[in-house]
Amino acid sequence: MDLTRAQQLPVIEYEGLTPEENAELRRAGLVLAPLEQLKAWARSNSLWPLTFGLACCAIEMMGTGASHYDLDRFGIIFRASPRQADVMIVAGTVTKKMAPLLRRLYDQMADPKWVVAMGVCATAGGPYVRSYSVVKGVDQIVPVDVYIPGCPPSPPALIYGLNLLQEKIRQEARGRKVSAR
Amino acid sequence: MFGFLKGLGVTLSQLPRKKVTLQYPDVRPEWPERFRGVHRFIPELCIVCHQCARICPTSCISLSGTRDENRKMRIDTFDINFDICILCDLCTEVCPTEAILMSDTFELADYTRDSMYLDMHWLYENQLRYERAHPDRVTRPAGGEQAGEA
Repeated sequence: MDLTRAQQLPVIEYEGLTPEENAELRRAGLVLAPLEQLKAWARSNSLWPLTFGLACCAIEMMGTGASHYDLDRFGIIFRASPRQADVMIVAGTVTKKMAPLLRRLYDQMADPKWVVAMGVCATAGGPYVRSYSVVKGVDQIVPVDVYIPGCPPSPPALIYGLNLLQEKIRQEARGRKVSAR
Repeated sequence: MFGFLKGLGVTLSQLPRKKVTLQYPDVRPEWPERFRGVHRFIPELCIVCHQCARICPTSCISLSGTRDENRKMRIDTFDINFDICILCDLCTEVCPTEAILMSDTFELADYTRDSMYLDMHWLYENQLRYERAHPDRVTRPAGGEQAGEA
């Protein structure tokens, strides 16, 4: 049997182990990756955001999901139900009337869940920062993982923010605290 | 059956066409010259006239300056709060010396709100980045260019 092709395939090399230990693990057929890292790999590559567009940022979010920027490349597929979603992209102005509903949708999402504040309205109120009816930052209601400034952020900026969120999920699974870049 | 084949014909005619997807993290988008990204700032041109801070619809610019020995105003601090900056370009339009301009930087997302409070040094770094990226778009006086290279 010709095994040259099989020998050319990439093999798993663990950090912090000697080459002999790695060879032993491969012979035994063990996968040693900690379960949390494996879960983080799966989670970060299948982020399902909730379709939660509140204002003009939603148009950019839809444009990011469409074929020109194609969020499906990252496994980011929009879901219409909070029960099926992992991440909530708060795209737009959160009024004080909408705030309890936003909190309810967040509570209805299954753990683990993340929140991305897209645009300056969701980050800090944006152009309505002196308004009487707008929540000054969605982080007063739900914990926010990634803030994306811009009014609205261009689709590449949103993809950059979502890639940051994927990086955060992977880093936190390794026990590292993720703070400002 | 005929309708099915007709629909499939549309699908097949699209197959050989060029793919429209921009592979963003690998391929960077090419923005037009008047794209409104994060600001860039040239401190030696600023005359501390406060027009940008006054016109700003969200009051996200704060600046201060002092008079030097030649009785000319010099900028000391210049901060933009990108939490609430809506990138409306009004500060660029009113600036009489074109000290504050828009760049094509857009990657500003972060895990905290604190790091969106950007000061003069960051904005000047952004100017230098912009000059390196687009040497054909930048026309600056000789003094400014020497300071930029130093």
